[in-house]
Amino acid sequence: MHKAMMGLARFLAIVGGIVLSALIILTCVSILGRLLNGGLHSDLIEGLAPGMAKWLLDLGVGPVNGDFELVEAGVAFAIFCFLPLCQITAGHASVDILANSFPKSVNRFLRMVIEIAFALVLCLIAWRLLEGTMDKFGNGETTLLLEFPIWWAFALSFCAALAAAVVGVYMAGVRTYEFITGRILIWDGVEATQ
Amino acid sequence: QEVTLKLHQFLPAQANVPKLVLDVWADNVEEDSGGRIKVERYPSMQLGGKPPELIDQAIDGVADIVWTVVGYTPGRFPSTEVFELPFMMTNARAVSHAYWEMFEKHMKDTEFKDVKILGTWVHGPGIFHTKDPVEAPEDLQGMKIRGGSRSVNSLLTKLGATPVGMPVPAVSEGLSKGVIDGTTIPWEVTTALKVPELVENHTEFEGRALYVLTFVLAMNKDKYDSLPDDLKKVIDDNSGLEFSVFAGGTQADSDGPAREVALDLGNNIITISEADTAAWREIAQPIYDEWIADMDSKGIDGQALIDEANMLIEKYTPQYEN
Amino acid sequence: MTALEIGIASFPALMALIFLRVPIGLAMFLVGLVGLILVTDGTTVAFARLKTETFTTFSSYSLSIVPMFLLMGHFATLGGMSTALFKAAEGWLGHRRGGVAMASIGACAGFGAICGSSLATAATMGRVALPELKQYGYAGGFSTATLAAGGTLGILIPPSVVLVIYAILTEQNIAKLFLAAFIPGILAAIGYVIAISIYVRLYPDSAGVRPPVPYAERFAALLRVWPVLLVFGLVVGGIYLGWFTPTEGAAVGAFGTGFIAWLNGGLNRETLIDSFLVTARSTAMIFFIVLGAAFYNGFLALTQVPQQLSDFVVSQGFSPWVVLILILCFYLVFGCLMDSLSMILLTIPIFFPVISAMDFGLVDLAAMQADLAREVLAVGVPEGMGAEMLASIQEAIATGLELTREQMRALDIRMTQGMANRIEAEMVAIWFGILVLIVVEVGLITPPVGMNLFIINAMDRKTPMVETYKAVIFFVASDIFRVILLVAFPAITLFLLPG
Ligand code: NA
Ligand code: NA
Repeated sequence: MHKAMMGLARFLAIVGGIVLSALIILTCVSILGRLLNGGLHSDLIEGLAPGMAKWLLDLGVGPVNGDFELVEAGVAFAIFCFLPLCQITAGHASVDILANSFPKSVNRFLRMVIEIAFALVLCLIAWRLLEGTMDKFGNGETTLLLEFPIWWAFALSFCAALAAAVVGVYMAGVRTYEFITGRILIWDGVEATQ
Repeated sequence: QEVTLKLHQFLPAQANVPKLVLDVWADNVEEDSGGRIKVERYPSMQLGGKPPELIDQAIDGVADIVWTVVGYTPGRFPSTEVFELPFMMTNARAVSHAYWEMFEKHMKDTEFKDVKILGTWVHGPGIFHTKDPVEAPEDLQGMKIRGGSRSVNSLLTKLGATPVGMPVPAVSEGLSKGVIDGTTIPWEVTTALKVPELVENHTEFEGRALYVLTFVLAMNKDKYDSLPDDLKKVIDDNSGLEFSVFAGGTQADSDGPAREVALDLGNNIITISEADTAAWREIAQPIYDEWIADMDSKGIDGQALIDEANMLIEKYTPQYEN
Repeated sequence: MTALEIGIASFPALMALIFLRVPIGLAMFLVGLVGLILVTDGTTVAFARLKTETFTTFSSYSLSIVPMFLLMGHFATLGGMSTALFKAAEGWLGHRRGGVAMASIGACAGFGAICGSSLATAATMGRVALPELKQYGYAGGFSTATLAAGGTLGILIPPSVVLVIYAILTEQNIAKLFLAAFIPGILAAIGYVIAISIYVRLYPDSAGVRPPVPYAERFAALLRVWPVLLVFGLVVGGIYLGWFTPTEGAAVGAFGTGFIAWLNGGLNRETLIDSFLVTARSTAMIFFIVLGAAFYNGFLALTQVPQQLSDFVVSQGFSPWVVLILILCFYLVFGCLMDSLSMILLTIPIFFPVISAMDFGLVDLAAMQADLAREVLAVGVPEGMGAEMLASIQEAIATGLELTREQMRALDIRMTQGMANRIEAEMVAIWFGILVLIVVEVGLITPPVGMNLFIINAMDRKTPMVETYKAVIFFVASDIFRVILLVAFPAITLFLLPG
């Protein structure tokens, strides 16, 4: 079970990483296109090689149309993809100052309650995002320049959010089991220092 | 008081539209209701979300009333785009008047059926603000320009300029760093963005303007329906045609002082005469054709909308000329 | 309960949850959600907001800079840049008393120039420098404290993730904030080196001696840091030359470091996946806090708490300086307990309106006009300017009077009251941003809760936390001294900015 969940989280994180890398490359290509376009329009190049400059410009050398929209849509998807890994590796930032002085059993109890709350929140987020996707699907909203339907990005993000909810529920189960049995399955900061 | 209405919008409270249009509307509503309605004002997206979410916030009741740019949600209210086409707009009062009439006739029960619209208007003429002067279409060749709307971007491409997508707040930085060579916006917002300090040339068009954006003031339907009849009347009396013309006119009137700032700085204001716009319009013609085709694919008669808008704009423009 | 009361009650509720170890993003989200349900009498508003708000919060062009800078930091390590930096600094400084520790600070500063995160800088340089510090007999607590403090240079020296978030929250120019952070960042590094030299003078046994390295080797080591200079120059230079915006600069930096890492053979399928995983974890952590803060701040605005607080402070007529110092002290105290990003996201929407409503008198209109006028007149009296006009201008300059419109026209200069006000507002925003950045970063190394202390201490199991706490006081003291300096002399922060 843990292997499968970890596998899912890692897989999505890698997918997110690939999307992020693609956006990085896209942005660099767009910058290059914009700089070249400016250069080709410059008096120097238009004087030296007018034919080539025109040919390249007609070829569409310029910034990638809608790069900005693709980054916005892509980065949202990537971040949703990153959530499950953070969840399963207890990566969220928290303040340990008081927890260090609590008895172990209290900490285990707290961690169970927190993880259950977290799972509920992740389920809520996924459910509402599904509603949002349906809305966008129904109302025909598109992006400004590329005019691709907004719901595509919403739907992809929903899939990742759903995975985060599944991993969240699994972690709630793990913490409940830990509380009942007293056996720690997944270590995090406080247990390590106690 | 009995009723509290949350008015949500994206500009800071001291900007022109919140201060000169929305506050006036809200104060009038509060007063006419004898204090029974209180309008709580939330500027700068304080209630959360990003500007494109405003219209949904009104539909879902996250806010009771929102002021928003229709173009923030492309594709959802396609009929309004007729006013955003290049060289459609004459003056803000006349076009806002035409917009309200066409809204009542064509959009009220279709595109805007999920929300109660209180006002529809456009801003003053959108113009070019550039580092190098733009006097003829070919001057834009190779310039990197931030376009204000989809049709402007499309026009820029046809003119040989490179449209650069960036959010409005990024314009100042883009200009000062040279990421863009110019931008299209109405005069009114140039002061807040420091545009006259960053560029020296401004290009206006006589007669029909380069472009405008369309706005709506929208109210949650259930909230409106839940009001007692006398309070509904207060809202109705303050909304509709008269308010739309007031809003568009007031917003456009803010253009004057902003233009004054640019003049004070010694900037160069170029006005393209009505005769000279012919060359520009010719280049813009394919955008009309594309738009009509796009509307056809959505089952809307685009040509009819254009004709009607033209007819109404021509009818009302003389009426509102100073 | 009125909305205002619910808003006020949300503070202790939030603090209680945070101290019960609820993750900070989750705590803000939950309090925001419950508060919103209470204030709006039901789930309608909260649930409607959630339909789009998670997506739009993550779908931010300007915030996309965050994962890109994080990835850039990992690629830099894979490309051997962290090791190269440390070796070069060690070659030049290592043989002095406390020299290896000073070299660690120098390497952290260099790494900070290509990494946007404190935690990543601390972790990366910790891995490189801790073994060397051990080898040359540096005391455990002294070593961990040095690296924890050095790590904060990751954010103090641009690029910086926290500054990006501040810029977005306050709608300021990211490039200008980066520029303004530069000198305070260098001062931080110098301050830490001084702290080290004082420490080794007081505790001579805490540092061993390292034999000097021959000059040939030193220069060779120095040459090996070229990729760092190249990437930093490309990113920062490109932003200032207008080749790209700061957001795009992050993409260029990530691509550049990735390419260099690949050239050096440090980037293969395995290490690439590894950097994706590490980036994924910290990105998700940061964005969940961003989401929680967005949700909580939306609720708080609805209760009118920030508005009321700002009105209250302004109506009390406190001196702007008193308010500023109180806010900075607040950050220093809370920084002992919370992490920097959460604090910025939670408090800037409350404090920034207060600060921007105040007049610090950073800008003098007449003086700026006089400077511009002198510049024009130095070139020569403009054509067509009458003797009378010239005399009136010279008199205005001499007596410190503001110029009239006609006088400015005649000189062809542009500087109105409106422009001066906007410049003042921007300067205050930038200066305040840098001060806040520093005080929240101090929080990363103040006991008991300091993320950098935890990270470094976890790498060195033999050193008790208390030893680290004791040594880090010296670095905290240097931080506080620097804050006082920057508050007293705003010009240190602002003078690099273009007029
Ligand atoms: Na940095
Ligand atoms: Na701390």
